[in-house]
Amino acid sequence: MNQEHISSAFDRDLEAIQALMVKMGGLVEAAILDGAKAVTTRDIELAEKVRKGDAAIDELEERINEETARTIALRAPVSSDLRVVLSVLKLAASLERIGDYARNLAKRTEVLADQRPISGPDKALKRMSKEVQRMLKDTLDAYVRRDVELAEDVRQRDEEVDEMYNALFREFLTFMMEDPRNITACMHLHFIAKNVERMGDLVTNMAEQVVYVVTGEMPDDTRPKSDETAFISGET
Amino acid sequence: MNDMRLIERAVNMDDIKISARKVQVYYGDNHAIKDVNVDIQDKTVTAFIGPSGCGKSTFLRCLNRMNDTIDICRVEGDIHLDGEDINDKRVDPVQLRAKVGMVFQKPNPFPKSIYDNVAYGPKIHGMASNKAELDEIVENALRRAALWEEAKDRLDTPGTGLSGGQQQRLCIARAVATEPEVLLMDEPCSALDPIATSQVEELIDELRTDYSVVIVTHSMQQAARVSQKTAFFHLGHLVEYGETGKIFTNPEDERTESYITGRIG
Repeated sequence: MNQEHISSAFDRDLEAIQALMVKMGGLVEAAILDGAKAVTTRDIELAEKVRKGDAAIDELEERINEETARTIALRAPVSSDLRVVLSVLKLAASLERIGDYARNLAKRTEVLADQRPISGPDKALKRMSKEVQRMLKDTLDAYVRRDVELAEDVRQRDEEVDEMYNALFREFLTFMMEDPRNITACMHLHFIAKNVERMGDLVTNMAEQVVYVVTGEMPDDTRPKSDETAFISGET
Repeated sequence: MNDMRLIERAVNMDDIKISARKVQVYYGDNHAIKDVNVDIQDKTVTAFIGPSGCGKSTFLRCLNRMNDTIDICRVEGDIHLDGEDINDKRVDPVQLRAKVGMVFQKPNPFPKSIYDNVAYGPKIHGMASNKAELDEIVENALRRAALWEEAKDRLDTPGTGLSGGQQQRLCIARAVATEPEVLLMDEPCSALDPIATSQVEELIDELRTDYSVVIVTHSMQQAARVSQKTAFFHLGHLVEYGETGKIFTNPEDERTESYITGRIG
């Protein structure tokens, strides 16, 4: 619905909450990239920046919560307007969770810096984080442009992230079996990989919200899933 | 569609009270209602919404032949109440209006006592054979309209002495006293304050257990609150008719969407 409301203040309110959410999305994208970079280069300074930056993300979520509550109370939105308000609320909640995962990446940088280096997985981790950041960027673009096709594309791409995680999981197992002194680092790196994989899941949920905003219906659950690590044992 | 009040709102789709087919209404040369088909269900509140002049009140007035009283007005098409053609020559409009009651925008009590306002209809339709029976009908009607407690000690005072909200409930009591099967309400709350509006809305919800209620309202929120089915009229067309939860969350037609979200007047 691109037509304007008779009440232009209502349009301004809706635009304002959406702008806040998109701004929050931008900060979270940066947090993912910086968090991944800090971990893979063991950059403690950058990690500190990411940890501190999370406060700004949380603050934005607070503001979005307040503004959406206000919009619901004062404007009683219905139909597509209601979907916009509800989606902003849910998207902001997902972004906040993704921000927390990024902060967790940064937190583990310090511990990893003290451990013996395991260089193999760094590249894969970086690639995985980059893909999740791209999925988030596309989701936000799809939201702004009301582009269902792009949102569907993001949903499909989560499978690749799951596959990258599966590969990393096996790699960590191998490292740990090779030399028990790798265990501490590998445990942390595994949590990091798992967190990035979870970010991908959250972005996928966000892409579903985009479909909901545009069509009024949640997409069918036909998305491919490839997290197989529950079935992988160390004996293979 | 996941409606949280699905059970409460469940309606029996087979129980059609009023069935309208290809209804056209002309005021002189003005084609006011264009080819409206609609099935109104029994024991259901149906809301008619739409901008001013869209024909919703005109269509409502077709349902108890109130348009007969307007000389230049011409109604075509079929309207069946329980399968009977209400425009048949053999149907007495007065009898029809006893079955299909109406409440108007402005409370319009007769300049008579509260008691006589309610007793008028049952008297002319010979519904009571003695005073005791009539008393009972009046009390029941006032109770149904949630006015009994406030009015029981002043039944012989003028109905016009009541407050606006009470007057509107008196008119509703008067309408239900003849035990109609359908109750038509043309913006029944537009002259009422929010408290009286809530009382009338609560009443509408209760009336739904026995009657088919059709309400014309300019308040979209009111339509959303009280009705199970909503019909959206625009420029004389029935644009969309469906379950209220669906109309207000994800309507099919873009004009409905524009109207309920406040984009066209």
